[in-house]
Amino acid sequence: MNEEHFLEFDEYLQGEMSAADKLVFEQQLRDQPDLAMAFETYKELQLHLENKFGQADELKAFKQNLKGISKKHFKKSKTKVVTFKPWYYVAAASVAVLFGLFFLNQNSDPTFEDYNQPETAFFTERGEANDNLKLAQDAFNGKKYKEAIPLFETILKTDQSAEIQYFYGVALLEENRLPEAESVFTTLKMGNSIYKNKAIWSLALSKLKQKDYKTCKELLLTIPEDYEGNDQVDDLLEELD
Amino acid sequence: MALATNHPDQMYIEGLANNDSAIIQAIYKKFVPKVVYYIKNNSGDEDKAQDVIQEVMILLFNQAKAQQLRLTCPFDAYFFLLCKRKWLNELKKHSNKGVTIKEELTSIHESADEMVLQTEHFDEKQQLYDVMFQKLGEKCQEVLKLSFTLPSMEEVAEKLSVTYGYVRKKKSLCIGQLTQWIQETNRFKSIKNS
Repeated sequence: MNEEHFLEFDEYLQGEMSAADKLVFEQQLRDQPDLAMAFETYKELQLHLENKFGQADELKAFKQNLKGISKKHFKKSKTKVVTFKPWYYVAAASVAVLFGLFFLNQNSDPTFEDYNQPETAFFTERGEANDNLKLAQDAFNGKKYKEAIPLFETILKTDQSAEIQYFYGVALLEENRLPEAESVFTTLKMGNSIYKNKAIWSLALSKLKQKDYKTCKELLLTIPEDYEGNDQVDDLLEELD
Repeated sequence: MALATNHPDQMYIEGLANNDSAIIQAIYKKFVPKVVYYIKNNSGDEDKAQDVIQEVMILLFNQAKAQQLRLTCPFDAYFFLLCKRKWLNELKKHSNKGVTIKEELTSIHESADEMVLQTEHFDEKQQLYDVMFQKLGEKCQEVLKLSFTLPSMEEVAEKLSVTYGYVRKKKSLCIGQLTQWIQETNRFKSIKNS
């Protein structure tokens, strides 16, 4: 094979050959097994490179997701076998009964309130002129979400930053305006800001609030392992199982 | 032979290709314990099993993405066999005593054997292609990478500040170089095997 052949392969595969040249080329492939074999390899390599580079991001996302699922699966299956002496059973049983009585009237499903720990907003330094930011920050941190929401809406007209969107979403979530909150978080989830994973977590909490445990779990599983709040994610996942 | 129709378990393959968490979890729940059990009983442990399983899942993802994975047998048999053989290969690689593991295809399911061989063949080819790619010069690697990442060759040319004609030519000659190396390797292999 020489350079001319490879240039021809490319031209053919790109569909740039004239009809007449194409016929000649195809006839050559039939007549020369060597050429046909080289062409097959060339085609396969092209496909390989297309997949390798064209889908590099998808592969990365898959690996990350797989790693998380795998880790969770194996963590669960690692139950320690402890050899128990007989009298331990008696002790353990009575503790179990006590606990059982204690928790009898409690709902065993995890609730939104267990995981509801909104972080503190910090948009602006003291003394800065931008009133709305300061007011929104104070209202949010003071858990006066009802007041914070219209302030955020005003700010968002000029400042669409992920940070403001995120805190706006949390305020909506706290005020039970779930469809609106979810739409804010979904937008952040699609993006690539540092609030992406926090948004997925908040979205999961919104599902938890609605007792949609299945969707909640599916969302949690898409949060990468290196997320800063991963302990909470693991805790909630464990409770959901 | 008539074209075999897809097995209903093809949904697992599609699920992997779509990075569908629910399907991946289902695979872990339904099919992974058996593999773990096998590896633990054959000189391995849970960590090793975890690695083998992840490797196989990535391989299946790649093959499915390349549109080359049509399941004709139950996923269970196929997946188990793939993991098992990967593990046995791993053992062989690391045993300095030259232990030979007598391993034949187990024929739980005839088409499972065939599918496993196809996947292993795909795996070998991918690895060979990657090794060869690393042998290319820096310029070739760069041109190819951009050619398959950017939407058009015009943009590749612009990015590299060269002419469109140059990148087009360079791209096909670089794939040509790979083609030649692969053909040499294949010829060498067939001499060795004959």
